[in-house]
Amino acid sequence: MAGNVKIHVSNLVKRFGDLEVLKDISMDVTEGEVVVLLGPSGSGKSTFLRCLNRLETPSGGQILIDGHDMTDKHTDLNKVRENIGMVFQHFNLFNHLTVMQNLTLAPVETKKATRAEAEATGRKYLEKVGLLDKANAYPSQLSGGQKQRVAIARALCMHPDIMLFDEPTSALDPEMVGEVLSVMQQLARDGMTMVVVTHEIGFAREVASRVVFMDGGYIVEQGTPEEVILHPKEPRTIDFLSKVL
Amino acid sequence: MLRIIQIYGTMMVAAMGQTLLLALLSLFFACLLGLFFGLLSTVRNRACNIIGAVYVDAIRGWPLIVLAYFVYFGIPMLIQGLGFKSFRMDSLQAGVIALSLNCGAYMAEIIRAGIQSVDKGQMEAARSLGLSYGKSMFKVVLPQAIRTMIPSIINQFIITLKDTSILSVIGFPELTNTTKNVSANVGLPMQAWLLCGLMYMVVIIILSKASKNIERRINRGR
Repeated sequence: MAGNVKIHVSNLVKRFGDLEVLKDISMDVTEGEVVVLLGPSGSGKSTFLRCLNRLETPSGGQILIDGHDMTDKHTDLNKVRENIGMVFQHFNLFNHLTVMQNLTLAPVETKKATRAEAEATGRKYLEKVGLLDKANAYPSQLSGGQKQRVAIARALCMHPDIMLFDEPTSALDPEMVGEVLSVMQQLARDGMTMVVVTHEIGFAREVASRVVFMDGGYIVEQGTPEEVILHPKEPRTIDFLSKVL
Repeated sequence: MLRIIQIYGTMMVAAMGQTLLLALLSLFFACLLGLFFGLLSTVRNRACNIIGAVYVDAIRGWPLIVLAYFVYFGIPMLIQGLGFKSFRMDSLQAGVIALSLNCGAYMAEIIRAGIQSVDKGQMEAARSLGLSYGKSMFKVVLPQAIRTMIPSIINQFIITLKDTSILSVIGFPELTNTTKNVSANVGLPMQAWLLCGLMYMVVIIILSKASKNIERRINRGR
């Protein structure tokens, strides 16, 4: 599976004051790959993900997204971000807008689509996540699982070719986790390039093309789900998995 | 009191008109100043934050009456001293400048607090979709911030309306200044000032009732 390199990270370092959260991360993600990041809390997974679309400013190293240098201050970040969808732990739906307005805001404001086109796209993705009937509802009228599915649809409306998921099911009630994971699984099957931070080992095992285990700001171990989850070699991976499985 | 209303009634109503004119003009400019300096205090830029903080601290540290004297008597001298000999400022202009600066500082604080009360995730989600900082602020953050700001803004409007009375000291013919003259002319201070107070009260009650309505309507969508 040697496709195009969509994400290239080399020697990434991120410090918050004196605290070094990411110490030396290098990683490539090729087109269509689903990379799942596992690791104990505080291991830097989320920070790493947020560096990819520059919600956090890296302290060192380089990040190339489709060849665009995210650490170069001449790069038009807004333009690159249009192609990187992101789904957050706490959904972050725009609470003052209806579901449909949530979906059409960015495509219309960035002039990617006319309002009519954006609404057509919005309906398509709402149908895909099974929430077409909620188009005119406000976020406060939705359950957690529904909110997260709308958030995924909102990101898809920009037609991104990379999707980042930051613990998308961690804030959900257990019975709602499945509906969100199945949408993500569908997305992976459609060939989306995905980087997912999650604690759902089952999802990692079934959907990931590669599992990356992080701890203490480093990548400790990576490989196929089979290698990392079923036959881990590093003591820290073994220790972590024994606690969560 | 009836005699005062008979003779000076129209004059006092006209003075109330001047008070409202002064208040509305000042509130308009205060909103612009408040939005500008409030945004300066929230962007991720040290220099902007400092400018925002200096404005708020400087203005809040000055009593309004001192600011009014300074603008009315001080600024024209300063500008004439710079070579613009024919520069004049009337008491309405000075009053609007002083009151806008004053109210603007409080509005800036209200707007800053309102923006900061909106969850950071809203800005992040908007930015992650490719929206610029400005678009994210005006389309996503501010519309949500306004809801929490409304009660404080209304409160500030009422304070500013009453603060127009302080501008009587620079001779602007608003309600308080006019009442002072009326009271001296007819020698009925109790009746004159009672009427003046009631007039302020009625206008403010009407305004706060109206704004309560607006508040309710905005909150209905939540």
